[in-house]
Amino acid sequence: MRSTTRAGIAATIAITALALTGCSGSSSGSSGPVELTYWGWAPNMEKVVDSWNESHPDIHVTYVKTDAGEPAVTKFLTAIQAGNGAPDLMQAEYQKIPTLLASDAIIDISDKVADDTKSKFSDGVWSSVTLGTDGVYAIPQDSGPMMFYYREDIFDQMGLSVPTTWDEYAQVAKTVHDSDPTKYLGTFSSIDPGQFAGLTQQAGASWWSSDDGAWSVDIDSDPVKKVADYWGGLVESGVIDNKPQYTPEWNAALNDGSQIGWVSSVWAPGVLAGNAPDTAGKWRMAPLPQWDASAPATGNWGGSALAVSSQSKNVDAAVEFSTWLNTSKDAVDQLVSVSGLYPADTVESADALKTPFEFFSNQPDFYETAAEIADTVQPFTYGPNVNVAYSAFNDEFGKAAESKSAAQFAAAVEQMQKVTLADLEDSGFTTK
Amino acid sequence: MTTVTTRRPGARRGLATPWLMLFPAIVLFVLFFAAPIVYTLVLSFQKSQVKGLGLGSGGRSTVFAGLENYVSALTDADFLASVARVGVYGLILIPTMLGLALLFALLLDSKRTRAKGFSRVTIFLPYAVPAVISSLLWGFLFLPSVSPFFDIANRFGITLPDLLSGDAVIVAIANIALWGGVGFNMVVMYTSLKAIPTDIYEAAKLDGASEVQVALRIKIPIIMPSLIMTAIFSIIATLQVFAEPVTLKPLSNSISSTFTPLMTVYRDAFTRNDVYSASATSIIIAVAIFALSFLFLRVVQRRAFGGEN
Amino acid sequence: MAATLVSARTRPSRAITVSPRERSSFFSTAVLLIGALYCLLPIVWVLFASTKDGGELFTTNTFVPSTHLWDNIVELTQYRGGLYWRWMLNTALYAGVGALLSTVVSSLAGFALAKYEFKGKATVFTVLLAGVLVPGVILAIPQYFLLAQIGLTNTYWAVLLPQIVSPYGIYLARIYTSASVPTDVIEAARTDGAGDFRIFWRIAIPMMSPALVTIFLFQFVGIWNNFMLPYIMLGNDSLYPITVGLNGLLNQGSSVPALYSLVVTGALLSIIPLVALFLVLQRFWKVDLGAGAVKA
Repeated sequence: MRSTTRAGIAATIAITALALTGCSGSSSGSSGPVELTYWGWAPNMEKVVDSWNESHPDIHVTYVKTDAGEPAVTKFLTAIQAGNGAPDLMQAEYQKIPTLLASDAIIDISDKVADDTKSKFSDGVWSSVTLGTDGVYAIPQDSGPMMFYYREDIFDQMGLSVPTTWDEYAQVAKTVHDSDPTKYLGTFSSIDPGQFAGLTQQAGASWWSSDDGAWSVDIDSDPVKKVADYWGGLVESGVIDNKPQYTPEWNAALNDGSQIGWVSSVWAPGVLAGNAPDTAGKWRMAPLPQWDASAPATGNWGGSALAVSSQSKNVDAAVEFSTWLNTSKDAVDQLVSVSGLYPADTVESADALKTPFEFFSNQPDFYETAAEIADTVQPFTYGPNVNVAYSAFNDEFGKAAESKSAAQFAAAVEQMQKVTLADLEDSGFTTK
Repeated sequence: MTTVTTRRPGARRGLATPWLMLFPAIVLFVLFFAAPIVYTLVLSFQKSQVKGLGLGSGGRSTVFAGLENYVSALTDADFLASVARVGVYGLILIPTMLGLALLFALLLDSKRTRAKGFSRVTIFLPYAVPAVISSLLWGFLFLPSVSPFFDIANRFGITLPDLLSGDAVIVAIANIALWGGVGFNMVVMYTSLKAIPTDIYEAAKLDGASEVQVALRIKIPIIMPSLIMTAIFSIIATLQVFAEPVTLKPLSNSISSTFTPLMTVYRDAFTRNDVYSASATSIIIAVAIFALSFLFLRVVQRRAFGGEN
Repeated sequence: MAATLVSARTRPSRAITVSPRERSSFFSTAVLLIGALYCLLPIVWVLFASTKDGGELFTTNTFVPSTHLWDNIVELTQYRGGLYWRWMLNTALYAGVGALLSTVVSSLAGFALAKYEFKGKATVFTVLLAGVLVPGVILAIPQYFLLAQIGLTNTYWAVLLPQIVSPYGIYLARIYTSASVPTDVIEAARTDGAGDFRIFWRIAIPMMSPALVTIFLFQFVGIWNNFMLPYIMLGNDSLYPITVGLNGLLNQGSSVPALYSLVVTGALLSIIPLVALFLVLQRFWKVDLGAGAVKA
């Protein structure tokens, strides 16, 4: 009762506000080209969009560069909740798609997408935009198969061989740190849940699954525990650093050669070139170390797709643009050359990816190797509350990394499972 | 209001005028203070429910939640921990900041201090630096391998504590707030000190009172209202601490997403997309700020002015 | 000017004081200078850091300057077509225009509350004053929802409008007007036939100027420092103020490197105009905030 009165008051106030401030939020006129807004954060994407606008006078796209990842999704969801202000097209990291869908923020475009679109992408990538259903919720843009990067010069100098299994990685980590205590082969970063999720993906984990109309949370599954125990052991013994990545300190360590390896993704060259420009030509990429050398596998870290917002009034035009941007030769070439992405469209990007990244001029077969690795990405299902699981990762693994105790790493996995499952139940999802 | 305006010609002059002058303030206040607060209240009694897998449209609905959001906030161990943490933070920050501000203000007011113009401007400067930027700068200075302090200390064989790890991170955050706030409070106090007529304490000095005695017995009691005001401002700011820990968060393992109460609000509203819980937590924080400010005012008024009224 | 005032006050008393007191002046000066040094350190750091390029920032000794300041400024200027300077202009608009409007609104309201008797005055004042205690950060979320209803989010208005009304500014204007604008002056002007608004602009405003500077300064810094509101309201980075913009350069997502050297240079350049404004305005700041608290 009281609540409805208050809602009434709020509504009255909102209407008064509308009357007072006038109709500044004007809508586009009926004539002229279709207007689309596109929120994203890929570098230089506005240039790619410009080339669309030049060749397509009937559909004009306005690219709005937002902050990357989490903040962009946050603003997008807030605009959806507010019922106004969301763009037509939204860049969405793969793991955010179920969340966006569960919030009614993006729509199923399966009846608008051309039939051959699917054939441009690997099955793994395509399944992350269909979520294993008959729907299509976004068109893949770029992907992030995980790989291992290392300082070739320092490896040579220290007489190390590139680890091909995680056992070898642990040994190399120990050798490195023992022979020079200022050096580490890597760090366990509690601020990068996507990286950890990718590592567990490689080990065969899938944190969520849906079956018979019910969600399961499987964060406490054996592969996740195995990966957590492994890194917990390395951190506890001190041979791997426990500091977060992307800090000034980590940048310094990349520059001065005290971090000599990085478990990362196909986009790593851009990050390394930006953070440690003077180490150009000194890094080399290899497949991730394996759990089972006879069955090469990897996970995904990063990559995103382009979804159509539920507030869009021009769905056809939005799908048309999105299809062009992500699956036409012209645009995909630009995604590589202008935006520096690793396109999800493996067919059209083949040519553009022949020339290796300048920073990796010492590894001319970079993209060939990358393509082989990309084929080994394991299936993984994201649930509707990835945000909750990821923030639980930050909190729990932050504590664990700080404590440098393997037992704490195991406890962190249990806690993540508990928090994530409880959140699903509280929100009213059917779980089992 | 309209009726007052139409009566104006016949009415005594000035009846409508104050309302006209207040009009912009009242309209803006209603729109941007009152309405949001009411709206927050409304949201705080609701929650969002999903059905089944929650995929596809229409799976989500908003329902009345009663006090559920309040109960779950007040029984959430992480939230209570963040309240306790902010309590500790306030106990470290407020006395240090106000103590230093008062000390600097008295030194500025003292006739025997030199380099006053320079010091006053320099200490006040950080107030002009936004918390996001100052946290970034201090972040660099806190990180052992890029900090000049650690570099210099190492040369003398001293190992400084890593303020970004473990519980010490509260000190790191308090330091940023101290840096940004001490100058502002100093200037408020100094302005009050300058307003004291000099003859009030010149006499005491001639009677042989030392500068310290004059400060303690005459100056501080006179500027007590300023001290109270700065204390209340500091309490309000403390309970709202947000930008500093958020900016430092990516640099440290020890700052969780519920590190301070407002970070919990932010996480609920934006990371978890649950504005309803966030609204309830906001209301709790706002009530706490009200309560603490009034309580503080009551206590000090009784102590400071109890005899006078 | 402040310095000369102070030294003028110093001289006569030094004649009275006896020599032992001279010793302690070193101590108090030293304490104050240590405070100043502490406040200056991060600024000095950013000065040095902004002269370094991306690699040097992390590899060279902090207090060894390099030669890349100009390169950094050029790079910052070229970043996405001069976006940084757009952020500066936006900030000037939000904080400058916002604080100016806020000062006008506050002084009008404060004047009305101080110099008129009318029904409901106490209620209005109490309600407005209670606004001082409402955390601005908490307001940002519902403000977003309300502004979204009328399609104003992601516009300049979204950041400007909510920050015009300042309960503390109104409070300050009221107590200062009570104390420094004599009622008989107003009455005299009225008998001469001046209208109320004319009296306000021509007589009250000049007398209130110290309070107006203070309100302006408070609100300017308040808006400048308010990270949350623009962060929530704005999606389009060409509307960002400097704080949100620089924050975005740091948090580019995992696949794009954080642009530390640009951020550091950007931070330095953004502080300069604000410092200049402060140096100019702080000498006008003579309002005893505490004194008002008693009179109110």
